[in-house]
Amino acid sequence: MRRWLLISVPYLWLLVFFLIPFFIVFKISLSDIATAIPPYTPVFDFSMGIGEFISKLDFENYRFIFNDSLYVNSYFSALKIAGISTVLTLLVAYPIAYGMARAPKEWQPTLVMLVILPFWTSFLIRVYAWIGILKKEGLLNLFLMNLGVISEPLTIMNTPLAVYIGIIYSYLPFMILPLYASLEKINPALLEAAADLGSPPWKSFWQVTFPLSLPGVLAGCFLVFIPATGEFVIPDLLGGSDTLMIGKTLWGEFFGNRDWPVASAVAVVLLLVLVIPIVMFQSNQEKEREAAR
Amino acid sequence: MSEAALSSSPTGASRSPLRTAAPQSGFAPWKDPSKTPMVRFENVVKRFGDFVAVKDCTLDIYEREFFALLGPSGCGKTTLLRMLAGFEKPTSGRILVAGQDITELAPYDRPVNMMFQSYALFPHMTVEQNIGFGLKQDGMPKDQIAQRVEETMAMLELSKFGKRKPHQLSGGQQQRVALARAIAKKPRIVLLDEPLGALDKRLRQTAQFELMGIQERTGTTFIIVTHDQEEAMTVSSRIAVMDHGEFVQIATPGDIYEAPNSRYTANFIGDVNLFEGKVVNVAGGFAEIDWGPGLARFKAVAPEGCAGQQQVWLALRPEKIHIDLDKPTDASNALPGKVVDVGYLGSISHYHVELANGQRVKALRTNSSRTVDRPISWEDKVWLQWPAETGIVLAK
Repeated sequence: MRRWLLISVPYLWLLVFFLIPFFIVFKISLSDIATAIPPYTPVFDFSMGIGEFISKLDFENYRFIFNDSLYVNSYFSALKIAGISTVLTLLVAYPIAYGMARAPKEWQPTLVMLVILPFWTSFLIRVYAWIGILKKEGLLNLFLMNLGVISEPLTIMNTPLAVYIGIIYSYLPFMILPLYASLEKINPALLEAAADLGSPPWKSFWQVTFPLSLPGVLAGCFLVFIPATGEFVIPDLLGGSDTLMIGKTLWGEFFGNRDWPVASAVAVVLLLVLVIPIVMFQSNQEKEREAAR
Repeated sequence: MSEAALSSSPTGASRSPLRTAAPQSGFAPWKDPSKTPMVRFENVVKRFGDFVAVKDCTLDIYEREFFALLGPSGCGKTTLLRMLAGFEKPTSGRILVAGQDITELAPYDRPVNMMFQSYALFPHMTVEQNIGFGLKQDGMPKDQIAQRVEETMAMLELSKFGKRKPHQLSGGQQQRVALARAIAKKPRIVLLDEPLGALDKRLRQTAQFELMGIQERTGTTFIIVTHDQEEAMTVSSRIAVMDHGEFVQIATPGDIYEAPNSRYTANFIGDVNLFEGKVVNVAGGFAEIDWGPGLARFKAVAPEGCAGQQQVWLALRPEKIHIDLDKPTDASNALPGKVVDVGYLGSISHYHVELANGQRVKALRTNSSRTVDRPISWEDKVWLQWPAETGIVLAK
């Protein structure tokens, strides 16, 4: 009995804070917009039967977002930006994590602390701070112009480049930590064994270190790619009006248009876009593990 | 030839475990000054900061030898091996392989392969891939790699496990894969760092004979690092006993046991009784040793350079002491004592005998007949005796 209670706690949590809200959003996405509070129809009316209530629900909003290029483009643009920034984050994070894992044992807790340290400042404030760095008369341009590297200030703010910089900066710890965890676990004797068998260091990296760090690479990529796809703050603050991302579109739909049903449909589709590949990936991993047995 | 045929048995069980010191009779290349050693350490010193791990070591190891570096942990034996593999650089001195200086070569350019204490098998590769790893680095064609891997796996009875990953193998199987990987490239020298340390005792004994079989079949020079004196005695052609970064003695297992050059070696290998004394007289090749007032002097073969008044230790192996109830009539050395402890092990019995001065002596007796009229027991007054030739006079 006690065991069941213990096991049910996480499921209860998921039920209350994920499944029920998800069904509410899903239900809203099947409704129509209305000038009301909340701004959609129908709220369940006891005067009509369940059958009639359900018959009023339809997939019209989904049809709408798939036929409107704005939404489709937002999805693709978000996936593209998230994908590219995930790869770039990986490229920046790998050497850092590698250096941490190879650092003297007594330094490593400090290095991990330093990676986590930015979280002590609000995410929003840190993204705002980048405006001060990237804008025309910002720190970066001042620095480069004083050095004489450039004569005209670079336009970085309100371009996709600024969004990439923002995402890489913000999500770097989520990539570094799982990478570090998997790199740190690698037995140094494995690299000695590889060298002993005739593999020079750079070959050993690709033959031993990298394959053994793959679980960390995958975990890090998921941790960056998924939140980056739905990212709203970074494209809104740094990307300007030209940067299309689904998070921004969703926000505009909810708070600008006040079209909750369409916004809910956008949210449901976003969830599916992210959940389906993850589930496929996990079942694939499960199969591989079975095959290895 | 017959050696190789016999050793093809994977467990080596068909071979007599009672092997003489050298693998083949007359195998003693270290006595041949014209031979070029396979490995030569030349005045090798290794310091880690203030700590001196290896102090000025000079050592020659010959082709086809099974050479053991034996000593307690921290004696420098592993450092010596790692310097040969290339993982550590000597602070000074040179290391030569087949006459060629390899001191500056990177590990991946050396003609040696190592079997690691932790095995260090690549966890993401199958057994086949692990064994073939070294061959792949050499750019060997795929079909040849497959063939060599096949042969090596057959030699070590691993053929069934080729497609498995290391974590799906037992400890003994992992150990064999590690050995297979180290010999797959047919290196000139195979280094073994405590190769059997992780196995339980019974498996270890089987594995020791397997190692010897593989070494003889492949004709490779094996260098093993171990702290297990029994293991070193069993497998090796010669042993270097190490202490605090120095060689104490380098000799065949038989010589190390029967003719130790110091108290350290005598103590480290096997059981020994030590008596401290002073040489009072040397005559006719025998030394008389005074080891306390009122005690009968010992008579033992005088070592070279033994002189009067020199402080020495007499080392006596327990199995070489004869224990009896009656006083012997014509023994060169006889000591009265009292039995304080008896350990009956079936084939042999251990006796702890207390002498008049309080010192305890260990003696061994084989129980060669089933019934004895009067077995030696606790509190018995006994006589210990041994011929002058069996005691070893040690100066240090």
